[in-house]
Amino acid sequence: MIPQKQLEMVRMGLRNLVGYPMRTVLTMLGVVFGVGSVIAMLALGAGAERELLKEIGRLGIQNIIINSIKPEEPDTSSQRSNWISSYGITFKDHRQIVDTIPGIEKALPVHVSKKTVWQGSKRVEGTLYAVTPEHLDMFQLNTSVGRNLTHLDDEKLSRVCVVRSGMLTELGIFQDPIGFPLNIDNETFYIVGVLLDDSFLGYARKALSVDAKSSEIYVPYSTALRRHGTRSITRRSGSTEATDVELNQVVISVTDLDQVLVTARMLGSLLERNHPEKDYELVVPLEVLSQRQKTQQVFNMALVAIASISLLVGGIGIANIMLATVTERTKEIGVRRALGARRRHIIAQFLTETTTISTIGGGIGVLVGIGLVQVLTFFTGWSAAITLSSVALSLSISMAVGIVSGIYPARRAAGLDPISALRHE
Amino acid sequence: MKAPIISLQGVHKYYGEHEPRLHVLKGIDLDVADGEYVSITGTSGSGKSTLLNLLGCLDNTSKGAYLLNGTDVSSYSDDELSKIRNEDIGFIFQSFNLIPQLTVFENVQVPLLYGTRSIASTTDLCHQVIESVGLSDRSEHRPSQLSGGECQRVAIARALINDPVLLLADEPTGNLDTDTGDEVLALIDDLHQQGRSVVMITHDPDVANRSQRRVDLRDGIIVEAGAA
Ligand SMILES: Nc1ncnc2c1ncn2[C@@H]1O[C@H](COP(=O)(O)OP(=O)(O)O)[C@@H](O)[C@H]1O
Ligand SMILES: [Mg+2]
Repeated sequence: MIPQKQLEMVRMGLRNLVGYPMRTVLTMLGVVFGVGSVIAMLALGAGAERELLKEIGRLGIQNIIINSIKPEEPDTSSQRSNWISSYGITFKDHRQIVDTIPGIEKALPVHVSKKTVWQGSKRVEGTLYAVTPEHLDMFQLNTSVGRNLTHLDDEKLSRVCVVRSGMLTELGIFQDPIGFPLNIDNETFYIVGVLLDDSFLGYARKALSVDAKSSEIYVPYSTALRRHGTRSITRRSGSTEATDVELNQVVISVTDLDQVLVTARMLGSLLERNHPEKDYELVVPLEVLSQRQKTQQVFNMALVAIASISLLVGGIGIANIMLATVTERTKEIGVRRALGARRRHIIAQFLTETTTISTIGGGIGVLVGIGLVQVLTFFTGWSAAITLSSVALSLSISMAVGIVSGIYPARRAAGLDPISALRHE
Repeated sequence: MKAPIISLQGVHKYYGEHEPRLHVLKGIDLDVADGEYVSITGTSGSGKSTLLNLLGCLDNTSKGAYLLNGTDVSSYSDDELSKIRNEDIGFIFQSFNLIPQLTVFENVQVPLLYGTRSIASTTDLCHQVIESVGLSDRSEHRPSQLSGGECQRVAIARALINDPVLLLADEPTGNLDTDTGDEVLALIDDLHQQGRSVVMITHDPDVANRSQRRVDLRDGIIVEAGAA
């Protein structure tokens, strides 16, 4: 058929739909809500995935992070005090990793310790991160004021630090913080930079063992090692606890993305050999990402399946009402047949009508879905992303629903005997 | 004399697939010459509409041959019959049979949807045909906004849109009062004058008298055929 006639049929079909607005709306409703929920579900799924990428991507998918973990002590009550517990990654491990494992671009040492930071009468608990300058770049710890740590700071063992702005507020520092002295334990460090205040999210924070409660202070690795050593002492409810951890963390960056998992396996066996007591953990963001993505995909599929059921119900609704319409319009079908309509013309007419209904319903559904997403994100704070592909998908699905749900009624209409249809009152 | 446009030869029509079948037409022989105006009369239930439906290719004969323009169409497929209905035959019904949700213009357009000509190329034609039945100012109206006589004129315009050789009318004035009925009959007379063949069912002897020949059907058999 010439497309122009198809257009004319759509136009005449629309005339039918406009003629019975209430019925048309009711017919569309299923598809409207079906498509609306598909759009919303896909948007929420895409939003969750984007969050995930942001969160884990921050760790760098080329990176592997080794954290020292305090092993479970078999018996803590007997020798509680005055005992130095020593565990975790050692300098020797670090050297071995650098020397024996191929394809490693960087292996950045990190030492973490709890310190009391004070300024005048104010004191706060902070976490001191002794890091190399590359560390700050690697995790996009950018300063909003001042500068980052440099190699020169490290070489000259400068007592400088970069802090979170939250700490300044807690310490009551409201003037220009650059060059301001901070007392960290018994040493004085000078602020050279203040970090942009976007802290690590959920998983990234855990993987980097960043304490949610106390803010971070970054100091040059060599300076901290010289000033504080590797031991730290914590006093807790009367007893003193001393720990000696040479490296709390090593951040390894692999040159070739394809080699990340292989390198992780090599690291794993090296550490297993050196640390049978398992006082470390190996975090592979790439692995975590793909696991999470898999989970997310399953979740998305479940969501879409649920939404599809409502689309199916919508399709059944259209088929049902169209069947009723066929009965109601038997006479019209007879007239059209008398005027020369072939069976396929009648089929085309009904399919055109169902497809027009479902596609318009789908279009409205897209709008409803977008609205739903706005409302949901507004009230729950969930992240959502409406993608063009989900809109295209929904519209094609609703078109398909129209065609499929029209087939049976259309065939019924076309199968009518012209004379009986004409005689029908 | 010209070759007949319609030639029925020993035509039977049964309804129903199982015994007892309803035997409606019981051996009809009928020729209609090209350009002839024939009326069919008979009591209700005598098979007039059944006969007209056969002539209109809405149905196949159960037995016997139907030659339309010299071609036997009794074994034509559904699609072939549809094409003949679309191009060669114009129907006029007692109850007008307009499509209620469409405008006058769109109703007249309907047969064009099933033909080969494009819609755009036939817009003028639609206007002309609507004008020829005197309804130019009503072309955007719905059937429900028209009187019975106007509806029937729309139906005639629709029947004419593909310029058919044969007009079939099943009691076209049955739902009209005498005056509007006369207008419609005058229109049909005009169409006959223009050279179209017309077969019209009626139970009104006055109406039948306008035709050139009367065929009286009784219980499925032609009992009387003669000049009006
Ligand atoms: N499609 C059909 N199926 C079954 N019976 C029919 C059908 N069409 C007509 N009949 C029967 O055939 C007989 C003749 O009908 P019809 O041709 O409409 O008569 P008329 O038009 O002369 O009143 C009637 O008894 C009618 O009930
Ligand atoms: Mg009848």
